[in-house]
Amino acid sequence: MSCQNYQRFHSRRDFLAQTGLGLGSAALASLFTRDARAASAPATAPIGALPGLPHFAPKAKRVFCLFQSGGPSHLDLLDEKPVLAARFNEDLPDSVRRGQRITGMVASQARLAVQPSRFAFQPGGKCGTRISDLLPHTRDIADEICVLRSLHTEAINHDPAITFFQSGSQLPGRPSMGAWVDYGLGRLSDNLPAFVVLVSVNTKRAGQGLLARLWGSGFLPSAHQGVQFRSAGEPVLYLNDPEGLTRARRRTMLDGIGELNRLQHAQSGDPEVETRIAQFELAYRMQASVPELMDLKGESAAVRESYGPEVETPGSFARNCLLARRLAERGVRFIQLYHRDWDHHGSLHEQLPQIAKDVDQPSAALVRDLKQRGLLDDTLVIWGGEFGRTPYAQGQANRERYGRDHHGKAFSIWMAGAGIKAGTTYGASDDFGFNVAENPVHIHDLQATILHQLGIDHERLTYKFQGRQYRLTDVHGHVVKGVLT
Amino acid sequence: MPRARLLPLPCAAWLVTVLAAAPAPARLEFNRDIRPILSENCFQCHGQDPAKREGKLRLDDRDDATRARDGRVAIAPGKPGESELLLRLLSSHEDERMPPAKSNKRVTSAQIALLRQWIAEGAAYEKHWAFVPPKKHAVPKGTNPIDAFVGATLAKHDLHPAPPAPPETWLRRAALDLTGLPPTPAELDAFLADVKKRGEPAYAAATDRLLASPHYGERPAIEGLDAARYADPLGFNNDSARTMWRWRDWVIEAFNANLPYDRFITEQLAGDLLPKPTLEQRIATGFGRNHVINSEGGIIGEEYRVEYVADRVRTLSTSWLGLTMECAKCHDHKFDPVSQRDYFRLFAFFNNVPEHGEDGRVANAVPMIPAPTRAQQATLAEQEKRIAALDAELRKSANSQPSAASAHAEIARLEERKSSPLLAPYDAPPSDEIAPVVPAAKLDFTAKTGAAVAFWLRPDGDNPRDAPLLSALNHRGNPADTQFGKGRELRLVNGEIEVRLSDRFPMYATVARSQGAGIRPGVWRHVALSYAGGKNAAALRLWIDGTEVALHVLHDGQQAEPPKRDWIVGADNAPESARWRGELRQLRGFASAITTDSVRAEFFAAANELSPAAAARFANLAGSERFRQRNALWEEHLALRRSLPTAMVMEELPTPRPAHVLTRGNYDAPGERVEPGVPEALLAPWPAGAPRNRLGLAQWLTQRDHPLTARVVVNRFWAHLFGTGLVKTLEDFGSQSEWPSHPELLDWLARDFVDGGWDVKAFFKRAVLSATYRQTSAVSPALLARDPENRLLARGPRVRLPAELIRDQALAVSGLLASRIGGPSVFPYQPESLYTGIVVGAAYPGTTWTPSAGADLHRRSLYTFWKRTVPHPAMIAFDAPDREFCTVRRSRTNTPLQALVLWNEPGLLEAARHLGARMLREGGGDDDARVAFAFRLATARQPRPEETRVLTAALARLRIDFSTTPADAAALLRVGATAADPSLPPAELAAAASVASMILSLDETITKN
Repeated sequence: MSCQNYQRFHSRRDFLAQTGLGLGSAALASLFTRDARAASAPATAPIGALPGLPHFAPKAKRVFCLFQSGGPSHLDLLDEKPVLAARFNEDLPDSVRRGQRITGMVASQARLAVQPSRFAFQPGGKCGTRISDLLPHTRDIADEICVLRSLHTEAINHDPAITFFQSGSQLPGRPSMGAWVDYGLGRLSDNLPAFVVLVSVNTKRAGQGLLARLWGSGFLPSAHQGVQFRSAGEPVLYLNDPEGLTRARRRTMLDGIGELNRLQHAQSGDPEVETRIAQFELAYRMQASVPELMDLKGESAAVRESYGPEVETPGSFARNCLLARRLAERGVRFIQLYHRDWDHHGSLHEQLPQIAKDVDQPSAALVRDLKQRGLLDDTLVIWGGEFGRTPYAQGQANRERYGRDHHGKAFSIWMAGAGIKAGTTYGASDDFGFNVAENPVHIHDLQATILHQLGIDHERLTYKFQGRQYRLTDVHGHVVKGVLT
Repeated sequence: MPRARLLPLPCAAWLVTVLAAAPAPARLEFNRDIRPILSENCFQCHGQDPAKREGKLRLDDRDDATRARDGRVAIAPGKPGESELLLRLLSSHEDERMPPAKSNKRVTSAQIALLRQWIAEGAAYEKHWAFVPPKKHAVPKGTNPIDAFVGATLAKHDLHPAPPAPPETWLRRAALDLTGLPPTPAELDAFLADVKKRGEPAYAAATDRLLASPHYGERPAIEGLDAARYADPLGFNNDSARTMWRWRDWVIEAFNANLPYDRFITEQLAGDLLPKPTLEQRIATGFGRNHVINSEGGIIGEEYRVEYVADRVRTLSTSWLGLTMECAKCHDHKFDPVSQRDYFRLFAFFNNVPEHGEDGRVANAVPMIPAPTRAQQATLAEQEKRIAALDAELRKSANSQPSAASAHAEIARLEERKSSPLLAPYDAPPSDEIAPVVPAAKLDFTAKTGAAVAFWLRPDGDNPRDAPLLSALNHRGNPADTQFGKGRELRLVNGEIEVRLSDRFPMYATVARSQGAGIRPGVWRHVALSYAGGKNAAALRLWIDGTEVALHVLHDGQQAEPPKRDWIVGADNAPESARWRGELRQLRGFASAITTDSVRAEFFAAANELSPAAAARFANLAGSERFRQRNALWEEHLALRRSLPTAMVMEELPTPRPAHVLTRGNYDAPGERVEPGVPEALLAPWPAGAPRNRLGLAQWLTQRDHPLTARVVVNRFWAHLFGTGLVKTLEDFGSQSEWPSHPELLDWLARDFVDGGWDVKAFFKRAVLSATYRQTSAVSPALLARDPENRLLARGPRVRLPAELIRDQALAVSGLLASRIGGPSVFPYQPESLYTGIVVGAAYPGTTWTPSAGADLHRRSLYTFWKRTVPHPAMIAFDAPDREFCTVRRSRTNTPLQALVLWNEPGLLEAARHLGARMLREGGGDDDARVAFAFRLATARQPRPEETRVLTAALARLRIDFSTTPADAAALLRVGATAADPSLPPAELAAAASVASMILSLDETITKN
């Protein structure tokens, strides 16, 4: 937290007043009477935003990060490279590799043999952006998205690369993007968290491990960490009262707790007790609002179908996409999806089509659904993984059966929505898809751009920790103006 | 989540804002008043980092700041009007004004006024206070120094101390702070009676009792484990289990034994380098190995090895120096006078561990040692004693020939126990011929069935130090390649047999070496190896001449079963393979593990021919009962040794790795070579005669006049008691730190701590007995507005309990707590689907959560398996860190998720049910008494009548409610693994359990008042 920010906390009473948590008993009483549905509507003003934020008028009110964990192959999905086919099984030229480091998994391969994609690319939409046959639905929304083909990152292994993407540092300990946004902009809902995480659980194969730190708060206060909404068991951990403890009994108990806490506050004078009273009431409201949110009964058959048949399976990426939209409607600001298993060192030819099928239709349906509801204009959607894959084969090059190793020097993602130039592409990799050839976009640039769309100057959202003002983008990052309208 | 209570971090503005009510200091002090302003706003570009210095101007150095340049002076002592610094701060021109707009820094007008006054007063600089050794300021005799210093500060601010808290409130506070457990009603009653009887001495007696409790050590261990980033798995995305609980138990034991804190530091930093280190001292060095270790396939080992060393530097500097040394990893420190070179000199101390960057996928990473518990150590010693005694007797009786008949009978018995071989006896050709190959199928080491191999060997005199005997392991290719080093192997290393079962040598391999095989050139020895299957070294046994020998496990990290390969006899496939020289005969393979009897039969079958002396020795003893006893005991001893827990420890390479300044901190960009060293000019001199290694570093750190160590440590203990440190930034005492609220008190405490022999219990005793600690925590609106964070200590501490204590207290008051100290980590209730979709999709240890059975469900929370990548959600909700790296200050939030945990976490619900049952069984005859009983258990005080009324009303209502819905009552009582007391009416118990749950959820219950 910067010094300026601190001043507003110097009195906890001010703080409580500003965050809406220092409620008197009259206000509490009014909360008791609010029903869950009414309470589900987004609050009109953000709760707990830092003063001075947003720094400027935001284009995006909310962010969907559809994270494809494991390293999707840009060369087989979003970045067509005819040269690879022309130079099948030739050695990757040294002039391309330029001595750049490669992982230990291929370090002892005798050669790095050029590996073309076996999948065809076609133009999509009016704009004609070329996208692989593995993503036909994404191709259908080509006019809504901007494909960035010049992403690059520093890490070459999953853990550091994902941590870098989500927190701006390869090593643990920094707040995640969603935590930064929550810290800066506060909540829009008074009964849902600002930062929600949805993880796919029904992938056919298990993937690389994810880490709670990817939605952690790092050195920010832990209240800013993302809350995982789950498809199995309780939607939020410990949300459900035990069997036998009805809602009325919970209310009886909570009334008693509230009364005792108020007596305690009168004795102790500690404003922390008031905060706790308010948080307990919020928890009680969440017990109603979260199940309502997770229940798709109100969604029309047409909408459900648009996300594909998997939407009926809890824990699927499709279901999570639809839930994400429902979260957004209820004021959740940063929604992070994870879908694992893009790590195709071998058998990419078999596995990539399967996983692409998992996510292609729901991703496109989400963009369309948002657009139809008028939400796309102020929603930023990001689709991509922590790095791409190598233009050379891991093992032998083969026109049909192959695998690719991790590759961070150039890869692709797409973005859509709030202030993003729809129907365009940005940047390019070289003929091999190995290096960035034009308009490089570093991970810190992407992060700066995401914050920018939310009305945040990434250089001015800081938190003082260990004597230093930290930022999501460290000391780097430039807003990628070229993708913005 | 809604913004809850934040712990704002320090900054200069705090002083101005919060202490505004204080009278303006008569004369400014550079360190207190000026340095924070300059450090925050100026040093980044005008500080000690020459690479980032603008306009060649330093403001951290008086000579430079007061030097004239082109007729202008940044700081003209005594002449504010001529000082460019002020002109720039006040300039209305965008391009002249400092700090520049794009720095996002702003100097307030109050701060400018301070700078003006300071320049007018002569612009005196001081060395940063924390880098000057503490002075022991005088205190009036007969008072607790804490109260003297705090009282003086209060007087300066025109404030008065609060009255003392009631005795029971103090006892609960002290009990939670010193043992982590609430006082029992009996303890409360005894204490209240004692206070009534003899007043003041009762407090000291209670403190002594708490400090003598075996649970005392468990309490400071919580912060100790955070600082040492202790956890049960290895971290990173595989995050599989490691075994470091012996280190955790060492910490608890050290606190319990009141190990002087300088030794606590020394043994953890350098226990291995002490003269004749004990096992416990070596285990202590696990402090240096608790860091995360990466086993992701394909990483570049050196990149991570460098990170581990950097983590040690960070942990040391955060936890004991209070410096952000890691800021100087990539460039000179921006704020503190620490250069990148200083950083890498400190780095050099920790750079010599024989470790791998990639390691620990399924088990501990090397270096590691067997780490028997105290009980196991006693058993081992007892066994060794008995074996020695039997050996002495056997030596005596070796002269008296046992009957030939009994020896003959024994040999005949063994003959019957011979295992049937897979590979018929095979004599290798002379070792100067082409190395022969034994087909894989003939020596089939399958993990499912196990296997064995036996042979006779007689080495020549010209063997290399390490020679292959039987090799089916791939030595070709790049060691970083995931395909490298797969297979199995037996080697002769320095006269010992080394066994390798390897998925990827060496880190994902089982490697064990015999101890005392005594294989010598020119002497025939019979070698037998048995493998019971699986992936662990515990499956291996080795015999020499029919007697089992111990195996020393060098690595136990085999992740997967390697593919079968043919065995090369006396050679391996390494590009520059060393050839074994000597004779190898009677090679036999077996399709399963073998026993001592069959090994002996094998041995005896050829012993008369190859080693008549050994055969005779054996025949002499074979029929003896003592010999049988000795063997049985020895094998029992070895079996215990195979089962011991291990611990990762620090060790030094025989030849230190060269250390370099790494350009921009990058592992692959070594610059200037550096030797181990410390910032002597800044902090303290290197102690005369101290070795230039970690032990010397510990001596440097714990020398009497070190300006930081003791201050940092006592400040952390202070925060443990009072919620906030005297220096609020527990982790940073550098120039960006906050000015201490009570600098003279901090110095006095640090000085006294060192002079009193680094006595932690004495520190705690003095502190909890101080009037400052004993104050009531109740606060008036006026005082709250004046001092919202209680920095001036005009009231007692009131802070929410740490995550661990919230659960531990509930377990304790419910009677469920299993109070056993130490041992392997345990698995209490955790939501079943927690790992779904998150943890790595491989069957590594630590990737599934199977709840413990019985008492282990109810152990104290510091024993809960701490998975770094997915920590226990109830702990995280209450701000426990993930322990991926050193943390010395937890945040303290107040969120709705905490309410959900308190209400619905099954462990807390089960505790509520047991507390409800206690209400009914022990609480007395009526509702008033029963709710008061439970309320007192949780809060240590009697409820006031209005509080009793709230609880009894709820109890009455819920009782009626549950009595009409027996199915609901029954369902509620099913939560948890323990059964509900059948003697209690279910509706009654359900209502009591619900009221108990209310009590356990109260703000007062989860708060230290």
